Amino acid sequence: MKQKKMAYYGKKILIFIFSVLILSITVFYVARLAPGDPLVSYYGERSEKMSPEEREWAMEKMGLNDPISVQYIKWAKNALHGDFGISFKYKQDVTEVIGGRIGNTLILGGIGFLCIFGGSLLLGILCAWQEDKLTDRILCKLGTISSCIPEFWIALVLILIFSVNLRILPSSGAYSTGKAGDIGDRVIHLVMPLAIVILEHLWYYAYMIRNKILEEVRADYVLLAKAKGLNKKKIMFHHCIRNVMPAYLSIMAIAVPHILGGTYVVESVFSYPGIGALSYESARYHDYNLLMLLCMMSGILVIFCNIVSQTINEQIDPRMRAEEITEQSEVVEQ
Amino acid sequence: MKNEVLIDVKHLTHLFQLTKKMKVRAVDDVSFQIRKGEIFGLVGESGSGKSTVARCLMNIYQPTKGEIWYHDVNVCDKKEARKNKKMLQTRRQMIFQDSASSLNQKMKVADIIAEPMKIQHVTPKRGSFRKEAAFQMEYVGLDESFLDRYPSELSGGQRQRVAIARSLSMEPEFLAADEPIASLDVSIQAQIVNLFRHLQQEHGFTFLFIAHDLAMVEYLCDRVGVMYHGKLVEMADAEELFANPVHPYTQTLLSAIPVPDPIRERKRVLRTYDGEELENSEWTEITPGHFVLLPHSESGKGVQS
Amino acid sequence: MEQLLEVKNLSVSIDGLAGEVQVVRDVSFSLKKGEVLAIVGESGCGKSMLCKSVMKLLPPSARITNGSISVCGQDITGYREKEMQNLRGKTFSMIFQDPMTALNPTIKIGKQIAEAVIIHNKKSSKEEVYQKVLELMELVGITHPKERYHQYPWQFSGGMRQRCVMAIALAADPDILFADEPTTALDVTIQAQILDLLREIQMKLGTATILVSHDLGVVARVADRVAVMYAGKIVEIGTAEEVYYDPRHPYTWGLMKSLPAFARGKESLYTIPGMPPTLINPPKGDAYACRNEYALNIDYEEMPPMFQITDTHYAATWLLDPRAPKIESPIGGRKH
Repeated sequence: MKQKKMAYYGKKILIFIFSVLILSITVFYVARLAPGDPLVSYYGERSEKMSPEEREWAMEKMGLNDPISVQYIKWAKNALHGDFGISFKYKQDVTEVIGGRIGNTLILGGIGFLCIFGGSLLLGILCAWQEDKLTDRILCKLGTISSCIPEFWIALVLILIFSVNLRILPSSGAYSTGKAGDIGDRVIHLVMPLAIVILEHLWYYAYMIRNKILEEVRADYVLLAKAKGLNKKKIMFHHCIRNVMPAYLSIMAIAVPHILGGTYVVESVFSYPGIGALSYESARYHDYNLLMLLCMMSGILVIFCNIVSQTINEQIDPRMRAEEITEQSEVVEQ
Repeated sequence: MKNEVLIDVKHLTHLFQLTKKMKVRAVDDVSFQIRKGEIFGLVGESGSGKSTVARCLMNIYQPTKGEIWYHDVNVCDKKEARKNKKMLQTRRQMIFQDSASSLNQKMKVADIIAEPMKIQHVTPKRGSFRKEAAFQMEYVGLDESFLDRYPSELSGGQRQRVAIARSLSMEPEFLAADEPIASLDVSIQAQIVNLFRHLQQEHGFTFLFIAHDLAMVEYLCDRVGVMYHGKLVEMADAEELFANPVHPYTQTLLSAIPVPDPIRERKRVLRTYDGEELENSEWTEITPGHFVLLPHSESGKGVQS
Repeated sequence: MEQLLEVKNLSVSIDGLAGEVQVVRDVSFSLKKGEVLAIVGESGCGKSMLCKSVMKLLPPSARITNGSISVCGQDITGYREKEMQNLRGKTFSMIFQDPMTALNPTIKIGKQIAEAVIIHNKKSSKEEVYQKVLELMELVGITHPKERYHQYPWQFSGGMRQRCVMAIALAADPDILFADEPTTALDVTIQAQILDLLREIQMKLGTATILVSHDLGVVARVADRVAVMYAGKIVEIGTAEEVYYDPRHPYTWGLMKSLPAFARGKESLYTIPGMPPTLINPPKGDAYACRNEYALNIDYEEMPPMFQITDTHYAATWLLDPRAPKIESPIGGRKH
């Protein structure tokens, strides 16, 4: 049994490693195929005035003249030792560049994720409970509208209302200058970006939960549960929601990268110093090393979450673990 | 003509792979023949492999072992089957249990019936596909006004007739009907069974009729095979089988037929069978045309009697 | 004898897209303690809706438009959900057609049965509940209950699952058991076993049973009384012997004649011509008139009342009116 488990998880890890490898190769090649001049990010304005010889020398120095496969192998070798190179733009180790900003993104995305996680479940249950009554109908309409409006537009409207007109919330940044350690100040800066991250994703997941629960409510076993005298609350919580949970957990695991992607957009609108804004810059200025690490981080997160959600599904649903066979079928061991 | 063999199944075995290590023996060394112009019934409980046999006959499954001869073509041989693809696809047709899901809900009845002809590029004999469809409708006892309706507007019995009309449109000689009446009401069942009877007697179609309603099988079929756990345990003329069941499973099955007669029904004694000696048995002909899977010790006697 | 359940002039409608469908029309019947009443009819005749309306398990679009339901002398027609919950399981319980979907796939069988036990015995200890569950499992013929307690529904065969559903239905010792096509999804051999179990339990516990089925053979084995339903109405009701050996309604004749058991050696099976009417605008007269070869003119004009034939046998056909021409029943006759 133990061996079986080892093999099971071993297989998952192998799939993970293989996916990461493919991802890194693809990102590496695609980044270099994109048109643009990588020297701009290192030398800035100066690069335009460089002579062909100087350019040649600079390219050589940065290792950009080698064939892409050689470049990749060099990069991979260093990466395995923890050296991801320096950022062309910031002239710093990319890990340091990212390290300074990742905290902000994690706070925004993390809190957003938790709110969406809890909120969508509650909202979904509420709607399913009130199915087709006024509450449900109003929530459904509002939810659909909220998720149809593009996030950057709402962001601008909110900035207009709360920063420009009412002047109660700051319009950009993660903290006011000189107040990096002030928690209250940071919280105020978080309010609007967080509101948008949540608003944009909450209904999507709540609606999914609502429909999943309703699917269960229509199942035959609910009729039997009713016939044996269970009340609505017990049926809902002991039967329907219980059956929805595995699906919900796996959906939420896939939601992690989805919500993170949402924070990227929000970050660039609010000039919030997180890795979202950073990824955008690095792609634009051909800051290859930075882009590479950022892509790898997001990619690994996506792959990891997918594998986790799949594992959750297999572990929770007893039928998926089924290796035993129902009694009526005659089985031949071969 | 009645004795000409149309389909000859020899030692058919089909395994289903469940997981890497486990296989289910859905059909286990089954041999039987279907003669031209007869209705051959296959009965057994769910999971006994009767549907799998039908699907092997229709090339839906590739059997693991064994041969199925249709006229002189071995349909299990991929090469031969491909060479005779057109003949096999037009002459054999299948009817499924759930006509609601085997008919495309988005197509009109006329298109459903004509579809096989379009697929096989058959030029309609009666001028147009629509006329052809109308002709088939009349054949199965449906009014022409149904041509422009959708399956959802029809009742279960009418849908099943449309399914039959569709399979008849290719002018097949062999029809495999997998539980065609199981989901229908009693009085509608009677209509469909009458239609099968009519098609067989007036037009000479050959049927494989799979069912679990033994009373209908007794009424409709010429010969019957009984399956249990993937094995054919008994086969005989319907009259003979229902009068003198030999295999204990057949006896169990017959004892379970409900009779619409309260006094007799309440007294009816059920038999049980749990598969004893099934592994160690041999296919034996006890009287001409009556085959039983008998345990080795008894089969010796059986041959002589 | 005491009437356990009394249904009077019950009508049920479903609001559909095309209009109001009258699925149950003016149905009256009663059920005595410990008897088995079978309701027979084709799909869509309202037999299943009839059961669900007594238990108030109707879909949201359906409602009771007329009539009354009383259980043990108490009128429950106006009962609300809360009050119904106390009755369900204890006074009446139900088993369903498809045992494959009637059990929650993610909960162990034992727990699902225990849940039903706890609802109506809230004070019992864990051990008592466990013992009661084992008892129930044995009662419905599940072998090795202790091991089976911890298994999931998919580890059971169809017949075994139907037994589990029965254990759940019997958990609180109900007075009335509704069995809605309990054997339709099962094999013939299993079907007979479940029917015998139903009969056995009914004898042992004295549970009155309403068996809904489309199969006249199934009904013959267990029913004390039989009601035949057509187009939302009960057209004939009587003891099993009366309905099988002396049927009076032309629809009952048609149903019986279409069975292969009555056609042995004949060229073709009898079929009832035409189709059942839609119940959105049911016909003014007898709904069966247009399919009835014995139909009288009045059948098209006026709904026939229930004519009494014996103390227990009633049928709704104008043929029983003293003025109607005498027609020899095409089947039946006593076969004792």
